[in-house]
Amino acid sequence: MSDQVSGVRYQPEPRTKASSIITRYSFLSREWLRIAALAVVFLLLIPLSALAFGVEWTHTLRTVALGGGILGLVTGALGSFAVLRQEGLLGDALSHAALPGIAIAFLISGRELTALLIGAGIAGWLGVLLVRAIVSTTRIKQDAAMAIVLSSFFAFGLALLAYIQGRDDASQAGLKSFIFGQAAAIVERDVWTIGLVGGAALLLMLVFWKEFKLITFDMAFARANGIPTRTLDLILSTLIVVAIVLGLQLAGVILMVGLLIAPAVAARQWTRKLEQMVVLAAIFGAASGASGAVVSAIDAGMPTGPLIIVAAVLIAFLSLAFAPERGIVWSQLKQRADRRAFAAQTMMRDLYRHCCSHDNMSQPTDEAMLVKLRGAAARAGLRDLAREGLAVMEAGTTQWRLTPDGVLAAAQIADNGTRQTREIRPVVITTVEA
Amino acid sequence: MQSQRIDELPGITSQLAFEVEDLTVAYHSKPALWDVDLDVPQGVLMAIVGPNGAGKSTLIKAALGLIPRAAGEARFFGTTYGKARSRVGYVPQRGSVDWDFPTTVLDVVMMGRYGEIGWFKHPTDRDRAAALQALHQVGLSEFAQRQISQLSGGQQQRTFLARALVQDADLYFMDEPFAAVDAVTERAIVELLRTLRERDKTVIVVHHDLQTVPEYFDWVALLNVEMIASGPIETTFTEDNLRAAYGGRVSAIGAGRSV
Amino acid sequence: MQLIESLLVQLLTRFVSPDTLNAALTDPRTVAVIVGVLVATSSALLGGFMLLRKMALTTDAISHTILLGIVSSFLFMAFVLGIAPDLASPWLIIGAALAGVATVVLTEAIQRSGLVKGDAALGLAFPLLFAIGVLLVARFTSQIHLDADSVLVGEIGLAWTNTNSYCLENCDSITITPEDPRAETARVCTNCQTESISPRSPNAVFEMTCANCGTYTAAEAWRARLIAEPPQLVYLPKAISTMGVITLINLLFVLLFYKELKLATFDRALALSLGFRPGWLHYTLMILVSVTAVGAFDAVGSILVVAFFVIPAAAAYLLTDRLWVMLLIAPAIGAVGAYTGYDLARGSLFGIVQMNDVLAFLDRTIGLGGYIQWDSSISAAMVLTTFTLFVIVWVVAPQRGLISTLLRRRWQREQFAAQVLLGHLHNHMGANERHEREVSTLHEHLRWTPRRVFWTLTRLRASDLVDVEDGLARLTERGRASLIEFREQNLATP
Repeated sequence: MSDQVSGVRYQPEPRTKASSIITRYSFLSREWLRIAALAVVFLLLIPLSALAFGVEWTHTLRTVALGGGILGLVTGALGSFAVLRQEGLLGDALSHAALPGIAIAFLISGRELTALLIGAGIAGWLGVLLVRAIVSTTRIKQDAAMAIVLSSFFAFGLALLAYIQGRDDASQAGLKSFIFGQAAAIVERDVWTIGLVGGAALLLMLVFWKEFKLITFDMAFARANGIPTRTLDLILSTLIVVAIVLGLQLAGVILMVGLLIAPAVAARQWTRKLEQMVVLAAIFGAASGASGAVVSAIDAGMPTGPLIIVAAVLIAFLSLAFAPERGIVWSQLKQRADRRAFAAQTMMRDLYRHCCSHDNMSQPTDEAMLVKLRGAAARAGLRDLAREGLAVMEAGTTQWRLTPDGVLAAAQIADNGTRQTREIRPVVITTVEA
Repeated sequence: MQSQRIDELPGITSQLAFEVEDLTVAYHSKPALWDVDLDVPQGVLMAIVGPNGAGKSTLIKAALGLIPRAAGEARFFGTTYGKARSRVGYVPQRGSVDWDFPTTVLDVVMMGRYGEIGWFKHPTDRDRAAALQALHQVGLSEFAQRQISQLSGGQQQRTFLARALVQDADLYFMDEPFAAVDAVTERAIVELLRTLRERDKTVIVVHHDLQTVPEYFDWVALLNVEMIASGPIETTFTEDNLRAAYGGRVSAIGAGRSV
Repeated sequence: MQLIESLLVQLLTRFVSPDTLNAALTDPRTVAVIVGVLVATSSALLGGFMLLRKMALTTDAISHTILLGIVSSFLFMAFVLGIAPDLASPWLIIGAALAGVATVVLTEAIQRSGLVKGDAALGLAFPLLFAIGVLLVARFTSQIHLDADSVLVGEIGLAWTNTNSYCLENCDSITITPEDPRAETARVCTNCQTESISPRSPNAVFEMTCANCGTYTAAEAWRARLIAEPPQLVYLPKAISTMGVITLINLLFVLLFYKELKLATFDRALALSLGFRPGWLHYTLMILVSVTAVGAFDAVGSILVVAFFVIPAAAAYLLTDRLWVMLLIAPAIGAVGAYTGYDLARGSLFGIVQMNDVLAFLDRTIGLGGYIQWDSSISAAMVLTTFTLFVIVWVVAPQRGLISTLLRRRWQREQFAAQVLLGHLHNHMGANERHEREVSTLHEHLRWTPRRVFWTLTRLRASDLVDVEDGLARLTERGRASLIEFREQNLATP
């Protein structure tokens, strides 16, 4: 807004058919292509590396890889929401709490995957409710409440498992796999179950996409706008429970939290749009899940969980370090470049002040003095100025002076005082047209 | 409780933009709002002021149904909030949101249209154009694709304003919009408020800075758990009322325009 | 270590005869309970601070990552030192301490990057470290004899078997020389066999051999019936001595640094500015947590450790406002949990319910395939009893318990409603506002349910705060006074 109210009418861009198509499909931007490339690379890695290890790509291996991939995909995608709601560690409590549910479901109906998953879900939900109850009725904080529920439900699960073990029942061998994950136990029928349930969860996520986005970002605003936040919150929480319950077969109860958090954290570093983050997290999750499953199927004794977690967390660490814009390495480099630029500018100012206070444009300044004044960065700054033709070192000496170009540039800055920041002066419109 | 009699003021349409009656809100045993009455006519710029903990934000949240009421009701253009929702816009406090969320400025503004768009449908070109226009109004057009974590405090505030503007409401509630913004943004927001009033919109703002109340607003409500006084600045923003609201902790403040 | 143990044995035998001591220390139940109580005490002392520092989940993380520490120590011992890895080695302590510190350091490093919000950093760090630990165990199973079960639940039921023995009397080893009267000597022909000659032959060479010469420990001598009195041995389970020492260390730490810990937990900045070293305290606390966890690891496994850190402390937190009281109550609760836990594992819940009966009932209702014999993991049972104690405290604690809170809140709501109604009556005392005070329409003005109006009015009338006359309600003198008092306490303007 400028100081006076302007009568300028806002001109929306001319709406041709082409431009509206372009806006609609703007998601085909460079960023999405980058993600697609990442997807192809990651997902091809798995069969390729299996072949590299000289492993035969058997039907079992395909099944296991597929199951692991789907599980990882669902967990990664829905884990994004859990992480954005800062409920990552709640997922840890949830997964530990699921164990007694699995045991009880087994007692009631044997090793039937659907029953076990439902049992896990119910127990997990109860755990979360208990955490919320403790937090809302006492002064115990959420982290302690989670630790209480986590350890006691888990102990209950272990007690039940010990009791079941005593029954000498052959079919209970599979139960142990829920503790550390055993993707190799996935059979073809399981893949169907996983695919259906996971697919349904993802479908719901897509259907309520913009509402989930809104309530995760600003619940109060959503409620003020008439969006039924409580119901949506319930649905989203249930989807997260489903993701965790599905992922238990892959990662096991103890490590599940890593599979929930790591792909989302990794994805977050590469993008600034929620849509891309969820897709990337799904890709990272799928890659970790599938590769971990494959490796563990090769070596029958290896539990899947640890392998997948190591893969997922490594991807996360790599992302944290190397992602453009947010990555640590990146921002260190940028800081260094900024410091260099600032050093160059400071040098220019110093040279200018020195020369003009001496009323002689070509009065040189000794490098050693500048270094003493400004530190080691002075040297790099001077080199940069030399490279740009703004300053020059007198041959045979360590004296520096500004070139005519440099004098001009320095004068400009000196006149305007401190560095200019562009301030946007917005314009107020008087009429509104859609 | 002294409040201006609405029908005594000239040129005010009979329907009130916002009415509150007997509003009481409690946290366990301590009342946050007690028996609050407020009448706000259309087309005014009203500031709600009071000391810390006076219940200013609570008043808005309770009226909008965001927190439960112990007693009383709020009416918007004569009806309930549910029916008047499309005519009401809300700008919550900036701190209520995680600004590291992966989304762009334009996205946030378009969220203001979600209530209109409804279930299952996606934002259309029209929504996008409306969002861009709102951004233009607050001077953030060039920031449309910017990640919100890269915004300054003032820019964040203006994003929230744009989000409310895009709803094209008749009544706006703003919770501390001037908190910790730079001078330029402050001027921008004031300009926006004036423009809104010129278009006969009603704006109710929770404000913390007494000094600027007479300059920016034309009505004021003094709140300290109870409603101390409300009405036009000239008659309401007096030293007596201020002392009553702030419990004598207010040194002499120029009471706006001379009475 | 051995010195400490022998001192302990000396001390104990001063009060109790060695036979009684042995009988106690070879009883699985006694040993399990003692170990459990020691674990509970040592954990709860630190757990109180961890709870207040909002580091409960860090405790959980550490109890998992010490596996990596243990495994690393094992590998170090096996491959670098070339000795057989053993769970009693002091290297384990070092490995565990390092793992604990590594967990915290890694988490803090991730948090410092600013790229990960909230607690999520913990959810990256500890799964990674724990996963590496599990992978190492799987890879090096030949060198590392750990299996998943013992990692999680330990073998507290077998703690009594893993003992060091200490000798009190008749401990001397004996050496039998050929001259000793007990020696079994004999003349033996050395070349009869080889040269095929008869022992009576003049060429036969004889030698004195001693069948039982040599050095014997007291126990061996007794077994060989070479001494008259058996050695007096006391068998001290290793778990007891380990956990005993750790308990003492934790106790000393808490006692010595009580006020520094209190200050650093409550107000870290102030502690810094006063010259204390909150960072040092922080890491020492982590190290002690790791050491406690690894000490308890062999006996009770990692899950019990977490539970005993957090649950008793949380229950104590609900019972008191004073830190030192909390540090007294927490170990007590943990100890009771340990004691009753053993019974639960063996089938009896607090002596009230028999688990086999429960199972029989369930078998009848939902069908358990006839398996109605309850026998379960002791550590898990101890956690469950402790959790039950927490739930009991949660519900019945005075002031902060559920029951008291609910009652208090209901009372407050009633008070509030009463004041709202009083206020409403007070505000509409004017003659032209009589309709606002009509009892039959009050619910409309207040927007309450008629039921709520009825009960509030009844209570007010019973306390003589309101009168009703001709269907109109009005304040009494007492009512007005009550209103004024409420306003003075809660509102700005009386």
